[in-house]
Amino acid sequence: MKALSEQQFTKPIARSHNKSVELDGHRVPYFEGDPGEQMPAFILSQRLAAIVESSDDAIISKDLNGIIATWNRGAERIFGYTAEEVIGESITLLLPPERYNEEPEILHRIRNGQQIDHYETVRRRKDGTLVDISLTVSPVKDADGRVIGASKIARDITARKRAEAELRSAKDEFARLNEDLESRVRARTASLTEAISHLEEFSYTVSHDLRAPTRSMKCYAQIVLEDFGAKLDPEVKDYLERIRRGAERMDRLIQDVLTYSRLSRSDVAAHPVSLDSLVADIIQQYPEMQAPRAAITVRHPLLNVFAHEPSLVQAVSNLLINAVKFMPAGRVPEITVRSELHGPNIRLWIEDNGIGIKPEHQDRLFRIFERLSTNGHYEGTGIGLAIVRKAAEKMGGAAGVESDGLTGSRFWIELPAASN
Amino acid sequence: MNDRNQIILVIEDSPDDVFFLRHALKKAGNSGAVHVVTDGQQALDYLRGIGNYSDRMAFPFPTVVFLDLKLPLVSGFDVLAWIRAQPALNLLPVFILTGSAEERDRAKVRELGAKDYFVKPPQRAMVLQVMETLSRNQPSREKPH
Repeated sequence: MKALSEQQFTKPIARSHNKSVELDGHRVPYFEGDPGEQMPAFILSQRLAAIVESSDDAIISKDLNGIIATWNRGAERIFGYTAEEVIGESITLLLPPERYNEEPEILHRIRNGQQIDHYETVRRRKDGTLVDISLTVSPVKDADGRVIGASKIARDITARKRAEAELRSAKDEFARLNEDLESRVRARTASLTEAISHLEEFSYTVSHDLRAPTRSMKCYAQIVLEDFGAKLDPEVKDYLERIRRGAERMDRLIQDVLTYSRLSRSDVAAHPVSLDSLVADIIQQYPEMQAPRAAITVRHPLLNVFAHEPSLVQAVSNLLINAVKFMPAGRVPEITVRSELHGPNIRLWIEDNGIGIKPEHQDRLFRIFERLSTNGHYEGTGIGLAIVRKAAEKMGGAAGVESDGLTGSRFWIELPAASN
Repeated sequence: MNDRNQIILVIEDSPDDVFFLRHALKKAGNSGAVHVVTDGQQALDYLRGIGNYSDRMAFPFPTVVFLDLKLPLVSGFDVLAWIRAQPALNLLPVFILTGSAEERDRAKVRELGAKDYFVKPPQRAMVLQVMETLSRNQPSREKPH
């Protein structure tokens, strides 16, 4: 084919909507240049041929028997055959054996005037390697509209396919790593849960078995005091009393550890709880919370909370016991109990006029076995507030304190609100 | 019920706790005969009257049982479950006397059918309560004076 000059190729032309010319036996649209100036058919034909030739895509035409009629450079580049090698050969040359059945189907559709759009398939190169292509096949009609052959445009999509495969494999790898990570997390969690459960069972058993000899010490001392007290020297009685108190303190300590461990172990099922009656019941139980030993003001109504009642009784009791306990000598405890809405929660405040806690010590206060009182005036196991916080947290709440260390303490426990 | 006619089976492995129970019974004025077994298997043998306990003269059938929960060989829960599974022992009252104040243990024995649940140490008041329960629940056994 004779090459076009630049001017012949680049001269603007307009498409005419109502004209066509016969070109190589095919009817193609007729293009016009300046108005009234007709583009010679051979130039037009050459221009089209140049476009086809220079396309990156393979552009092939074949007859209705699948015999190749034209073959551009794109086809040569993609499939490795030169035009001389394939023109006159069957298009099945390009089909891998497992795809032989595709061609009759394509020819069948072409004969029916149908087009095949962007059909992704695989073809075989001259060297036998396979190439992923996207195929568009259109029927070519003669002047009378009869289908006389097909034009095929094949685009090499190997790179895209490779990218897709890499993406898929990366996704698979990611999913595998993710699954691997999740299964490791599951395994670790299971072993941690098991370790915690062993530890809690251990702590429960130890606490439980520790109580037996402690109880014995306390009971024997008690029995001696009760049954033989009258015959005993006051000094002996004093020593026995010290043994009994020591054992009692030890027993309380163990019971607190048991309570703490039980709270950590068990699930707490929550129900709506009336704080009004819960607080009243607790005050009723402890003589040291009643007049004249203490003045507790409850600001009714206290709002209802959603809680595990036994845990909440334990927590509020501990807060009230602390409130009346940590008083300077000679001062009558004045306690205010009130509740307020705090976001979706209810905050129960227990405010006292006691010794207070300096802000720098408040963090340590809720840790197990932490005691801030060192002068021996205030008995305690150092577990009470740890139980309060643990109970609150188990019920989906929190606990804390506000105090300047001078004018009493304001302890709070916060729990989800029930309908009020 | 006359205390002297009571045969008390104490299923308890701690000699100290046996001592405290005897002491509490005495303090409460209960003079029933106390028989002690120290593990769950012995308890089952005693109640069945087999092995070392086949002589019912020496080991009479109890009228009341104090049962610890933490026992060697067969646990207190299993002993209680066995007792409640014997139709012949339907009326035998079993009181739990344990170191455990755990709600889950209370719930479990309630389900298994214990008469009452006490946390150690046994006190006079506890014995009085037991005696009250026994006299309330078994009036038909008592002959009118």
